[in-house]
Amino acid sequence: MTGGVESGAPPGAITGPGLVEHFFRREYGRLVAVLARKVGVRHLDLVEDAVQGAFLGALTAWTARGLPEDPGAWLYRVAYNNLTGDLRRAAGRLRILERTVDAVAGSGDDPAPSYSAREVADDMLRMLFVCCDDAIPRESQLVLALKTLCGFSAAEIALRLFTSEANVYKRLARARDRLREAPPDVETPPLNTLTSRLSSVHAVLYLLFNEGYLSAHAEQAIRRELCDEAIRLATLLAEHPAGAVPETFALLALMHLHAARLEARRDGMGGLLLLEEQDRSLWDRQRIRLGVEWLERAASGELFSRFHAEAGVAAEHCFAPSFDETRWSEISDLYAMLERIDPSPLHTMNRAVAVAEWKGPEAGLAVLQALAPPVWLAGSYLWDAVLSDLHRRAGNLGIAQRHRERALASAPADAVRDLLRRRLATRPR
Amino acid sequence: MPKYLFLQRSVPGQSQRSSPAQMQEMYAAFNAWKEKFKDRILDMGGPLKPGGKVVTASGATDGPFVEAKEIVGGYMLVSAESFEHALEVARESPPVTMPGSSVEVREIRETEGP
Repeated sequence: MTGGVESGAPPGAITGPGLVEHFFRREYGRLVAVLARKVGVRHLDLVEDAVQGAFLGALTAWTARGLPEDPGAWLYRVAYNNLTGDLRRAAGRLRILERTVDAVAGSGDDPAPSYSAREVADDMLRMLFVCCDDAIPRESQLVLALKTLCGFSAAEIALRLFTSEANVYKRLARARDRLREAPPDVETPPLNTLTSRLSSVHAVLYLLFNEGYLSAHAEQAIRRELCDEAIRLATLLAEHPAGAVPETFALLALMHLHAARLEARRDGMGGLLLLEEQDRSLWDRQRIRLGVEWLERAASGELFSRFHAEAGVAAEHCFAPSFDETRWSEISDLYAMLERIDPSPLHTMNRAVAVAEWKGPEAGLAVLQALAPPVWLAGSYLWDAVLSDLHRRAGNLGIAQRHRERALASAPADAVRDLLRRRLATRPR
Repeated sequence: MPKYLFLQRSVPGQSQRSSPAQMQEMYAAFNAWKEKFKDRILDMGGPLKPGGKVVTASGATDGPFVEAKEIVGGYMLVSAESFEHALEVARESPPVTMPGSSVEVREIRETEGP
């Protein structure tokens, strides 16, 4: 499970355009992390430019002369030379960076040392912790991680996060401003001093996964990618002493258990399927196995985190033989625990749905009655969809219809709208 | 006679565990562990009494903690006359005789009790 940190895939493996892209993105994160450790995150801009330049060079050189023996080492050498050149030029202008240049350039004539998988993992994780600096706003943390560790361009990030390219640049600028402020002497803090940021790292990985999982993006492949990146980084974290705690294991378990059902969420026509409509035989058994293995490892210690509760819910679904045989009482309890650990009206709403399946629609509505939804929830299609569903099943058809119309009007995508139409239409129960 | 829950933990990567039955077992281990928090978090009266002991090959240690790197390998319910008796049973159980493995022993609250 150390996929993604080894250097240079075998040359023969790079064939289709998808694979090339995949290889480049993996290498990007690796190179940026290693070089940023060498020169300091203050120079992240220069590091990224240098790596970008190496990729452009590779496109020309490799097309003309074929693949080098070790593409990873080739990229590193070129990126390294680009970077030292850039640093020298910057030092010439600013006269303050000589020490950095000397430190890098003085490390020998052979700038392509072979890093062990462990060292690369160290560098990648250090970069991840650097991205999760508390002084950087959460949204910027996510964008910075996508850019530096996952190798997405600003345009690709904008596409995946449903925002504008300008907004992505704005968020990146905010993050880089903060990194530039880092005093020179603590440019590359040791990993063990960064573990206090672990909960921020968890939050960013969770956000990254959810962007992929919950997104109504039309293209399955695009959503899948974000989930895979989140799982890759979380696996790196879980297998490293800096992050190997039950909470990380639970986070990784919930990612695998949700990802197991990802493919089955879609019909053959690009539409979304309700849980009860999904063909459970299409769920990814291998993923479920990984998920439950991490879940078992997470079952340790004296802390039951929100990730434990959420992984527990995901596991209940994965192990239920059918929708009707789902243990809704367990799921209701898990949501209740989640509400205590991390109070949010969203969790209360989810509990109401589970309670309604368990004890009937009236019981579900009773849970919601005690809840005054904040504006962001009351204005979302989910809130109206849940109310419409519960009221219809309780026989309050007029109220149900009103919420149904509001839910359909505010649905974020056609696929979601179609799903709501099916769920909120008269359903035999 | 009071009942005791034995949570078995083994060192990861020692066995190839992929059969549906084994997956169910791992899941059951999580659920058993989860129960003790239901009590604490929801205040609804869970089945486990707080506190417990971990028995390893090198003897019993205080508190219900084991290292994070260890994993729960399964669980079983055992009836015993007393906590001490349950510990004796745990010491003789196969997982404890393997180096690195341990069993956590928790007393289960009587449902009609206080």
